[in-house]
Amino acid sequence: MVPIPRTMSLLTFDLREAFDSVPWVVYYWAYFVFEYFIYGKLISSLVVEPTNYIFYYGTGLLVLILFNTASWAGRSFVEGAHEGRLKYLLSLPIGRNQLFFEQLMLGATVNTVRLIPPLAVIMWLSGTMSPLTFLSTIVVLTLLGIAVIGLMVSLSFVAFRSFDIYSAVVAGLSALLIRFSTIYYPLRFIPQAYSTVAQGNPLTYGTDLLRAVLGFPPSLLLDPYLATAVVMALVVGTLFAGMFTISHAVEGVKSS
Amino acid sequence: MDLAVETLGLTKSYGRFTALYDLSIGVRSGEILVILGPNGSGKTTLLHLVSTVLKPSGGTAKVMGYDIVKEPLKVREVVGISFQEPRGFWRHKPRAILSFHASIYGYEGERRKKVVEEALHDFDLWESRDKRFMELSGGQAKRLEVAKQFIQKPKVAIFDEPTSMVDLAGKRMIWDRIRELREGGSTVVVATNEVREAEYLADRITIMNGGKDVVTDNLRTLKDSVRGADIVDIEFSSPVGGAAVESLRRMEGTARVLQEADNRLRAYVSRSEDWLPLMMAEAAAHSLKVTSVRVTEPSLDDIFLHFTGGSLASGADT
Repeated sequence: MVPIPRTMSLLTFDLREAFDSVPWVVYYWAYFVFEYFIYGKLISSLVVEPTNYIFYYGTGLLVLILFNTASWAGRSFVEGAHEGRLKYLLSLPIGRNQLFFEQLMLGATVNTVRLIPPLAVIMWLSGTMSPLTFLSTIVVLTLLGIAVIGLMVSLSFVAFRSFDIYSAVVAGLSALLIRFSTIYYPLRFIPQAYSTVAQGNPLTYGTDLLRAVLGFPPSLLLDPYLATAVVMALVVGTLFAGMFTISHAVEGVKSS
Repeated sequence: MDLAVETLGLTKSYGRFTALYDLSIGVRSGEILVILGPNGSGKTTLLHLVSTVLKPSGGTAKVMGYDIVKEPLKVREVVGISFQEPRGFWRHKPRAILSFHASIYGYEGERRKKVVEEALHDFDLWESRDKRFMELSGGQAKRLEVAKQFIQKPKVAIFDEPTSMVDLAGKRMIWDRIRELREGGSTVVVATNEVREAEYLADRITIMNGGKDVVTDNLRTLKDSVRGADIVDIEFSSPVGGAAVESLRRMEGTARVLQEADNRLRAYVSRSEDWLPLMMAEAAAHSLKVTSVRVTEPSLDDIFLHFTGGSLASGADT
């Protein structure tokens, strides 16, 4: 029998725990159904432009769910440090970079499982469903998810000093990143000051890149090449930051 | 001397607080070294440093020849650690936790299933094998934590308070298993603040206090090094005169002698096994017949008190 690499053993072990709670898996799908088919329909009937705002809103909703689940992956890493799980992982013969990549793979897999049904629904209802588009969209969502997980793990060094400060920083950051982005509104419809801030927000580029792949009118979006470049830079940047944090700053939290 | 673990000026600070000061100790291959100290003495910090969970602020340590700073991955290949507080796998079940641990150390397929089932039986967890971790009692969680090492069989096995939260029968079982682990070739390091645990397990004892090692030796030598720690109660067939008492006071190894009754003395001596034959000869010289002798050796707590000036029970662990 071929031995399973240790990182894969850990990933399998963690995935089992992540999907052990069926309510949490179903929760995001139910959340999507309510948000999309009730609130989305309502708000769409009020919005004149973009036409068929519900699809615009739906893609924003996907990014919102992605952000929440990717944040969960980062947060669970930090919670694990305080609950004693990280100590155990750090004592195993698994390199710290491998541990970081396992966390990324865990988050990306959980993201994908949570996002595939809502994505399929949106693509089917908007008539954009094709294998290539579906695959491209998954790639964009995975990249964006990796960037968010990397960001959350990079911030984990804050949590080793105080989990309360970490929670406050992440909550504040999340609120700002989501509100000051194009998740809900196209850039050209929003006020100048708000727009300037949104253009400095990486989520704007991720969301608009997703919409570009799904065939939204270019007039509503940022330049897709620029969006791709920003998303890639974000992925690379947070990967390096996450690896640096795990290699240099992360320790089993001092027992209380 | 062949050392399995050697710390070289190991230091760990958290900001201004230093949990471990310039620690240099050695653990001999194949021995059980018990680190004894009160809460807050730096035991846990030391074990976390040696197992590379923490990074030192100064100095280093070598585990089976591998440097914890330069070769942490190699160190983790040869070290196993049971943590003081088994936590962090709330939804997982004992069988899955042990199976994962076994897979990390190369057990696959039927072989893995077999060692996991053996460990579940050995540590009295079979009935709870499919309960969630969060539903286990404190003792069950602790036994599960300890059981990991018996699957892994590391070259250096580290236990941080292995029997805290465990009932008396469970304690004895874990101690016997730890000894078996040593018989199987592992070097064992146990941190505890339980005197009985130290006495039961230790080949040698390191006493730690305030982040420093105070003394390391075997229990016999530690006991013998405390002057006047052995208490000898002697009863004679007839009253003991002042001259006899004086001659006992002047004997080598005597710290003090108290006359408890006309025919009873209490002597505080060092190394009672050497002192007793001399006392018998002295009694005979004074025509005294000894009818009973009772020797009380110092406890580890007495030894700790002697070396540190403090008690084993205080503070919070670091």
